[in-house]
Amino acid sequence: MATTAHGAHGDHAHDDHAHHTPTGWRRFVYSTNHKDIGTMYLVFAMVGGLIGGFMSIAMRMELQFPGLQIFHDSHQFNVFTTAHGLIMIFFMVMPALIGGFGNWIVPLMIGAPDMAFPRMNNISFWLLPASFTLLLISAFVEGEPGAPGVGAGWTIYAPLSSIGHPGPAVDFAILSLHIAGASSILGAINFITTIFNMRAPGMTLHKMPLFVWSQLVTVFLLLLSLPVLAGAITMLLTDRNFGTTFFTADGGGDPILFQHLFWFFGHPEVYILIVPGFGIVSQVVSTFSRKPVFGYLGMAYAMVAIGGIGFVVWAHHMYTVGMSTGAQAYFIAATMVIAVPTGVKIFSWIATMWGGSIEFKTPMLWAVGLIFLFTVGGVTGVVLANAGVDRVLQDTYYVVAHFHYVLSLGAVFAVFAGWYYWFPKITGYMYNETIGKLHFWLTFVGVNIVFFPQHFLGLAGMPRRVADYPDAFAGWNYVSSIGAYVSAAGLGVFIFGMILAFVRKEKAADNPWGAGATTLEWTLPSPPPFHQFNVLPRIK
Amino acid sequence: MADAHAKPQHDYHLVDPSPWPAVGAVSAFVLAVGAIGWMHHMVPGAPLVFAAGAVGVLYTMLSWWRDVIREAEHDGHHSRVVQISHRYGMILFIASEVMFFVAWFWAYFNVALFPTDVHQVLRGELIGHVWPPVASPDGKFRGTFDPWHLPLLNTLILLTSGTTVTWAHHALLHGDRKGLINGLWLTVILGALFTCVQAYEYAHAAFNYSGHIYGATFFMATGFHGAHVLIGTVFLIVCLIRAYAGHFSPTQHLGFEFAAWYWHFVDVVWLFLFACIYVWGGGTPLAH
Amino acid sequence: MLVLKRLAAVAAAITPILAGCGAALAGVGQPSPWQMGFQQSVTPVMDNVVWFHDFLLWLITAITLFVLILLVIVAVRFNSRANPTPSRTTHHTLLEVAWTVIPVVILTAIAIPSFKLLFLQTTIPPADLTVKATGKQWYWSYTYPDSKFEFDSVMLQDKDRKPDQPRLLAVDNEMVVPVNKVVRVQVIGAEVIHAFAVPSFGIKIDAVPGRLNETWFKATREGVYYGQCSELCGKDHAYMPIAVRVVNDKEFASWLDQAKKRFAGNEAPRATTLAAAK
Ligand code: HEA
Ligand code: HEA
Ligand code: CUA
Ligand SMILES: [Cu+2]
Repeated sequence: MATTAHGAHGDHAHDDHAHHTPTGWRRFVYSTNHKDIGTMYLVFAMVGGLIGGFMSIAMRMELQFPGLQIFHDSHQFNVFTTAHGLIMIFFMVMPALIGGFGNWIVPLMIGAPDMAFPRMNNISFWLLPASFTLLLISAFVEGEPGAPGVGAGWTIYAPLSSIGHPGPAVDFAILSLHIAGASSILGAINFITTIFNMRAPGMTLHKMPLFVWSQLVTVFLLLLSLPVLAGAITMLLTDRNFGTTFFTADGGGDPILFQHLFWFFGHPEVYILIVPGFGIVSQVVSTFSRKPVFGYLGMAYAMVAIGGIGFVVWAHHMYTVGMSTGAQAYFIAATMVIAVPTGVKIFSWIATMWGGSIEFKTPMLWAVGLIFLFTVGGVTGVVLANAGVDRVLQDTYYVVAHFHYVLSLGAVFAVFAGWYYWFPKITGYMYNETIGKLHFWLTFVGVNIVFFPQHFLGLAGMPRRVADYPDAFAGWNYVSSIGAYVSAAGLGVFIFGMILAFVRKEKAADNPWGAGATTLEWTLPSPPPFHQFNVLPRIK
Repeated sequence: MADAHAKPQHDYHLVDPSPWPAVGAVSAFVLAVGAIGWMHHMVPGAPLVFAAGAVGVLYTMLSWWRDVIREAEHDGHHSRVVQISHRYGMILFIASEVMFFVAWFWAYFNVALFPTDVHQVLRGELIGHVWPPVASPDGKFRGTFDPWHLPLLNTLILLTSGTTVTWAHHALLHGDRKGLINGLWLTVILGALFTCVQAYEYAHAAFNYSGHIYGATFFMATGFHGAHVLIGTVFLIVCLIRAYAGHFSPTQHLGFEFAAWYWHFVDVVWLFLFACIYVWGGGTPLAH
Repeated sequence: MLVLKRLAAVAAAITPILAGCGAALAGVGQPSPWQMGFQQSVTPVMDNVVWFHDFLLWLITAITLFVLILLVIVAVRFNSRANPTPSRTTHHTLLEVAWTVIPVVILTAIAIPSFKLLFLQTTIPPADLTVKATGKQWYWSYTYPDSKFEFDSVMLQDKDRKPDQPRLLAVDNEMVVPVNKVVRVQVIGAEVIHAFAVPSFGIKIDAVPGRLNETWFKATREGVYYGQCSELCGKDHAYMPIAVRVVNDKEFASWLDQAKKRFAGNEAPRATTLAAAK
């Protein structure tokens, strides 16, 4: 059968070629090429990151002093907070790490010519701009009575998101999430199939690069958690518009149900955001230490364990809702268990570097920065896992500090590590090392100034999601805002460095990183041809 | 390998560029905007916008799957390895659907398992601390269905349709086109029958869709199941048309197989609904 | 200019920390400028929270420093100049077992006091007084079911605020409770979820519509203790503080007398049924 297929194909080799490489806008809009789609994802993520980053700067400007600065009421501030959270998660980190690097690199690493479902790959991408536009529209239509936008937090807890926001804004946000969810589920199906079915001959699962492992774990989490969110927000939609009472107490509903459903998705989601980053760090650390990864199998199965346990810890976000003591005790124990496989990862990275011959190129700086800062964020997570202390810290800035250490200083550091690491492969150009390092150091200093003092604010009792705060919190808030401006300067350097690279057009070698870079993508030209691996590579 | 234009020496299917993904995404967007505009009466033409989006989505599906069928039947792109990919894809899709139903069962058990929770004061008041609930003063919940009446009939209909689709499959495997067509016809008819019985039952419910948690969990869970029955029926009808067109061969008939998988999945969901909601949570039903 | 004035305020706030007495100036029951830790504890539960958190802080600091030191060693000893030829070691069973088992031991050591604290918080001792707090958009209502009255507690606007009352925290009618008595707090939300929190008591519990939650505290020191609504509840989430005045028994008795008169007839019928449900 396969031979007939090729027979048919061969006859049309010429127009096939014309079909395969369309030009102009069609090349991207109609694309069925994993690299082009990956590029679109990366550009999209960058736009998302800039918009989400701009919003966080506005929030920090507001919070720089007590009282209201730049927003005319708290609702508007809450709209920014909500949008910032959603955009950073759904329209920056996920498109960058999974859609962008996943699409670009997974087929290259496993020696496949493309994804399993190239056309579905494209709709996964194109659903995102649709979804993003819906979210943006939500900011301009009524949410709370008489005020535009969704100010219910990225967690859109009912009933604030139902009876508290009677206007259509929340419906825009809900359908935005539905569409983003559909995009991710289709993407997940695509990745799992690709990884299971299209590895080059000889590449067993236990020979697969850790970045591919990390994507595999991540997309399983997506596949199994997002439909539950879809269910939850569908209930919200029908509560809002058709009179069902899933979350309405008067009709026998339960607002806590929404939280259970949300966090059953939401907790795996936070690992969805970081696990691909773990994969990137493993590749980068091994490459620049010029050593194979230490404890490869342990590393792979640690990610599997993190993903698996990640499904049974969700209610550690709900210690204050009035859960039974037994349930709280269970969630404490289960949550803390995740520290063990995560520790395995941290120590294995260090062991990989141990005895290595380390070159601190820009990607390596981001990776090492992640290892340290993620640890900081991880151990405060362990503090929060203990219901006893979380009782005091829940919904304070301590939580904000925790999750930015794992997100803004974890996942984003991974985005940049991957960006600098694969930039030469993807674009064919070399970036400027000095500018890259400057970008790293400015960001490193900046984000630590933003988020470290937020631990103090949280311990002292400052609630999150407020535009104004008691005067005693002024000091550390001021410091935190200064840090945000430093990070913004870092972003400026990033953009400058990127433009410079495209202007200078300094040609990158096929493998600019030397003997440490052993995965298949480095055997290809930079940038790789439109279709690679017409002859499948064989792995010994 | 450097020669990007060389004839590929692998059996993967490098799909040609296609407009459908972008058209589909735009349609989904239009559909969403229309739906919200309609629900909130934002602009007079909103239902038309919604309809346009819906037509766009349907058109996308039609064109996209028509392309897939052409690639399989005419262009011979569906090599063995591609078929394996398609199997993975369908299984994973069904897995995600299972998780979608988990949400609805979760909502149901959230109230059905813990009716006596003293903390849930408003809920306790409404349902009388029992499951199924006591009749509500506003009449939005008056009683449950008798599971051994129409629901049992529907269970039997679906189970039978599971066997008829298997019959069709076996016929197909033996190259018996007539058997395939007959089996499919029966399955489609049974599916349609199920939907009719379900619609009839809905019309006679002693509880409302809105205003009461019983109706919310019941109608949304069984309603989404019903939607899946409809989708499955359409899927089977497509297979029937393709069978008439002579599409399936004993060795290559993934489209049919997937319809059958999907149908079994819908069947299993029903068994859970029947067991959990109608039987276990049925209490003493209203007399007929 | 506003910004300049604000900067001056920040500078003024920095001065005490430079003088080395930031924490000493800490007001009781409210945060103080440049504070880096918890607010001062006035209940046995919060004493335990503080102890447990200090214990955790030592542990996590040690773990973080350990990781940092390892990274520094690696950067110094194994950079490409110091170590031009990399080793090929990829396994060390003993090490791998160690970094799995040691965290398990640490986490077990955390879990034991953690569970103790949890049980302390969730086991409500026989109460001397019950107060029901209802979170509403955007203020709190307090019901004293035993004395059958209810009143609203609304944040003070700047113009009504005395100089010694903190902005965004002070309210018109405080919740008043006796010192050294076990107070049971029942919490419910009116339309959306709010959360009742008083940091120096170590309590926080969501006010969920339709759901009656409970917690307790025993304040061991007189004074006013402030908290803020701790669940996003809409536009004025930042403006619905909680203020609890802890007084001695005599003052409490006389406040109760006055309150019964002042708030007579304020009893919301719905609230009573909910309170009675438990
Ligand atoms: C990338 C995202 C990410 C990651 C990886 C994590 C990781 C963890 N998180 Fe976090 N978390 C969030 C994102 C993330 N979180 C977000 C966004 C929120 C807020 C959501 C919202 O409300 O808006 C949140 C909130 C949150 C809460 C709820 C707080 C509250 O609202 O009151 C809790 C409570 O348990 C928690 C715990 C943890 C734990 C235990 C881990 C663990 O996985 C961490 C494990 C890692 C380590 C422990 C460090 C490395 C290990 C070692 C060096 C070994 C030795 C260590 C020990 C023995 C301790 N997180
Ligand atoms: C990945 C997630 C992420 C990231 C990166 C950030 C980044 C930042 N966040 Fe945010 N934040 C959240 C997720 C994130 N945040 C979430 C989930 C919430 C909770 C929302 C809620 O309560 O509902 C929150 C809330 C939140 C608050 C609390 C608001 C409140 O409670 O009212 C604050 C306040 O300071 C804040 C500030 C910042 C700042 C200053 C940054 C700075 O670090 C920003 C600097 C910008 C960047 C570091 C991004 C740069 C990246 C790119 C430009 C993309 C590049 C792309 C490629 C290379 C492909 N964030
Ligand atoms: Cu009430 Cu926040
Ligand atoms: Cu979590």
